Amino acid sequence: MALEDFAAEMDRCSSCSYCKWIPFDQMKSWRFAKNCPSIAYHNFNSYSARGRYLVARSLLKGQSEPTETVRQIVYTCLTCGSCDVSCKVCRYNLEPLEMVRELKFNLVEEGLCLDEHIAVIDSLKKEGNTMGAARNKRGDWADGIDIKRLPSEKAEVLFHGGCRMSYDEELQKNAHAAVQILLDAGVDLGIMGDHEMCCGGRIYNMGYREEFESFAQANITAWDKAGVKTIVTSCSDGYHAIKRLYPKLGAQVEVLHTIEYIDRLIKAGQLKFQKEIPLTVTYHDPCHLGRQGEPYIPWNGVEKKIKSQIVVYEPKKPRYNGAWGIYDPPRDVLKSIPGVELVEMERIREYSWCCGAGGGVREAYPEFSEWTARERITEAKSTGAEALITACPWCERTFLDAVDEKNDRMKVLDIIELVQQAL
Amino acid sequence: MTLPKNVYQALEDIVGPVNISDDPAVLDSYRYSLAHTAIHLGPHYNTFTPRGAAVLMPGSTEEVQAIVKLCNKHKIKFKASSTFWSAQGYPSEDNTIQLDMRRMDRVLEIDEKNMYAVIEPGVIAATLQAETMKLGLNTHVAGSGCSCSVLASATSYFGSGPSNLYGGWFHDNLLGMEWVMPTGDLFRTGSIGADCGWFCGEGPGPSMKGAARGFLGAKGAMGVFTKCAVKLFAWPGPQTLPVEGTIPAYKIALPENFKAYTVAFPSWKAWADAVYTIWDTGIGYLGHRQFNMFGRDLKFAMVKILTDPTKTLEDLEELLEDPEVQKVTEESKRDFQIVLVGMTRRDMDWQEKAFDEILTRTGGWKVEAMNVPEIHDWALLYLVRLGHKNLNLVFGGSYDGCFGLLGSADYGTSNVEEAGQFKKKWEGRGAIVEAGGDCTMGPIGGQGGGGTCLWENFTCFDPSDKFSTEGTLEFFNAATEYGIKRGWGVGMEKWNSQNRGPDGRTTPKETRDQIHRSAPQPNVFRYQHKVKEALNPNDLGDAYFETLDD
Repeated sequence: MALEDFAAEMDRCSSCSYCKWIPFDQMKSWRFAKNCPSIAYHNFNSYSARGRYLVARSLLKGQSEPTETVRQIVYTCLTCGSCDVSCKVCRYNLEPLEMVRELKFNLVEEGLCLDEHIAVIDSLKKEGNTMGAARNKRGDWADGIDIKRLPSEKAEVLFHGGCRMSYDEELQKNAHAAVQILLDAGVDLGIMGDHEMCCGGRIYNMGYREEFESFAQANITAWDKAGVKTIVTSCSDGYHAIKRLYPKLGAQVEVLHTIEYIDRLIKAGQLKFQKEIPLTVTYHDPCHLGRQGEPYIPWNGVEKKIKSQIVVYEPKKPRYNGAWGIYDPPRDVLKSIPGVELVEMERIREYSWCCGAGGGVREAYPEFSEWTARERITEAKSTGAEALITACPWCERTFLDAVDEKNDRMKVLDIIELVQQAL
Repeated sequence: MTLPKNVYQALEDIVGPVNISDDPAVLDSYRYSLAHTAIHLGPHYNTFTPRGAAVLMPGSTEEVQAIVKLCNKHKIKFKASSTFWSAQGYPSEDNTIQLDMRRMDRVLEIDEKNMYAVIEPGVIAATLQAETMKLGLNTHVAGSGCSCSVLASATSYFGSGPSNLYGGWFHDNLLGMEWVMPTGDLFRTGSIGADCGWFCGEGPGPSMKGAARGFLGAKGAMGVFTKCAVKLFAWPGPQTLPVEGTIPAYKIALPENFKAYTVAFPSWKAWADAVYTIWDTGIGYLGHRQFNMFGRDLKFAMVKILTDPTKTLEDLEELLEDPEVQKVTEESKRDFQIVLVGMTRRDMDWQEKAFDEILTRTGGWKVEAMNVPEIHDWALLYLVRLGHKNLNLVFGGSYDGCFGLLGSADYGTSNVEEAGQFKKKWEGRGAIVEAGGDCTMGPIGGQGGGGTCLWENFTCFDPSDKFSTEGTLEFFNAATEYGIKRGWGVGMEKWNSQNRGPDGRTTPKETRDQIHRSAPQPNVFRYQHKVKEALNPNDLGDAYFETLDD
């Protein structure tokens, strides 16, 4: 795809501003009615999907130049996809999330990058991770665990740690816990250790399509060689990349989020909780596990018109609108832990508020990223919960930083920590 | 135009550097494509409203005043808009400053006892409704949907919608308001002007509501409204809507005192008689001919798509072949939706009984396929929140109404069939969506006149297709000619042509004068001219405040 391929959408976006709000049917208050952090923070129309369609059109028509302001408009999109969900309450022939990603690809291809993102790409090229850390330290988090190491050993299931969880010393315990729980449940599990590479999901959402494809191809090849059929990951960004982006490049591997696997084990009676955890919690749906965690459906079709001017597709186009994301498994797991009381925030499931980590925003616009996280923590607090639970290390890190910044008492936990404590 | 550096700096000093921009791309995100709606008589392809000189986002009344005073000093036009649903909120003349009122978005007060809310421009109907429902109250929602600014609808337009029937139009509901006049002076009209609170729009205190609004609202052309109070009405339902279902097929099951019916009639006379009788009887909470906006032939198939999250527009043709869908489509040709809400069980029983009697007397019937739970509960939520109005644009991205306009139920029903047949012939030419000709929709009754209806026959087209946009323009011109020939008058398709021309800019004065002189009450526009002379001496608004100076 190229930006020109979205020209018709730029015309057809009706500038209704639905992209600025959670689906109206779901609004419960004035305070938590907005969906897109980018427009909520910056306020100019340009920072919404509707505005970005018009900015893209203006650029495409040569009516404006990619100024510093334009770069900020484009790169402050978290690619969280909340605009996409709200748009598609009523529209069946627009893809705002894909269009904004294309806008990012376009700027990157023209060399209009951000220094902060270039640093990530340099790290990736040099060390195979987005964290600026050494390649040969990637598997250190698993030291002390008796687990198969691929590709020298074979295992039915591969645990993909991901960059954040592999290198973030405060979060490595969650990878450790996930692996140990699955091993204890009898899963034939392995890891790639220092051979593991970044999934590329985060750089894709920064606009680096070519680099993403290169890493994705390398991973697909490595997994093929190792005979991997199923991948489990605790990283929602990685989950999305492998589930939704890799199949377009030929991957045929099944991917499960750790919490899906654990939910299955609980429901099959293979995992039983022994301890009570008296804690009121609220659950934050990671964008890439929730609304963007829908199954990939191959499609290769064309636009056509019926009834003279109704825009449809031949064959029927898969509709990614958040309807079929991963929402219930984490909730079911939380509800099954003795003593845990789950209270919901106002913005949940497909219309969840983003944590602020995505799209390269955490790296390039830390103040905006932290504001986004603070908004979510405020919402979590309004439920009366003692802990904010999530299922993504990027969300957790961003929340932890925001909590630290304000000396907040809200606990931030990965769901796996509660599972481990209750076993 | 680039603002002189000193002017830009002065404006920046008022709102702060993060709330002003003249970046060309930002300015282009504040332009409205004339292809989106035909009412502005654009060539429907690749033409936008003029690029503003700068965009500003004021955060307080004081900032608005300072901006307006500066505009007067430098004779710069300004245009305020809150939620930008319509082209009317965008500049229609070059070198205009666009005020985006988004930052002023607080619900300042909800007076539960006196049943009103005080709001700022950026408050949308959905958030106001969510807050008022917590207190057992509800707000009217304009037909443009709950994404739109309540203040804009109340102060600057007329705000018709499904709850006209029970809650009144927004212009009926307008109470006190705070107005930054075109000169920058601050005026508080109604009771708030006498420091008596917000409860009344006309007094005690200065009664300037008429002068401030003018005919059908000044649409951002006469200063900036920074606060207003609107009436609320009773909501005998839950404090938050108990929404269930998979997106987009959200639905609510409300208690027994809520019912959403789709009803249909054997003739248009019976339809109109039912509307009048509903009005006379005083039943009903919301009333709208809503889903016919998809078109007489397509509406039930569209309802089937919208209530099933696995379906998309690609399923439309197959659904249209379904005999059951065809049966319901045929049965509901002349239909409307009504929501009955009982304040008590007894009230509900009475309304149900009265409604059944109205149907018996008029020969009408309930369309049972629309009353099955999954569709009923979806339709109920749709009508209560009015959060799916972008379905107006579902087919190809653009629509506009034609024929219609405001009148009694007899006015609309006298021509709906013939106008539909006329449109159907044009549908056959391929430029607009083939939907069955009659795509007429609108509220079935409103306060202040015995159940007035606002009709428009939706015409959907593809703004990205030159054949479609040009064909739509041809059709709208033909519709106008036909309406004049048949004595129905000019319809919705020319609603704003007196203000905005085909290049997106103000229509030439001679043309506007000609239109206003031929209006039923031209003196309205002469009076407005006097108002404008007195209150907007530097003429810093645009032609949306309609005047005649002969």
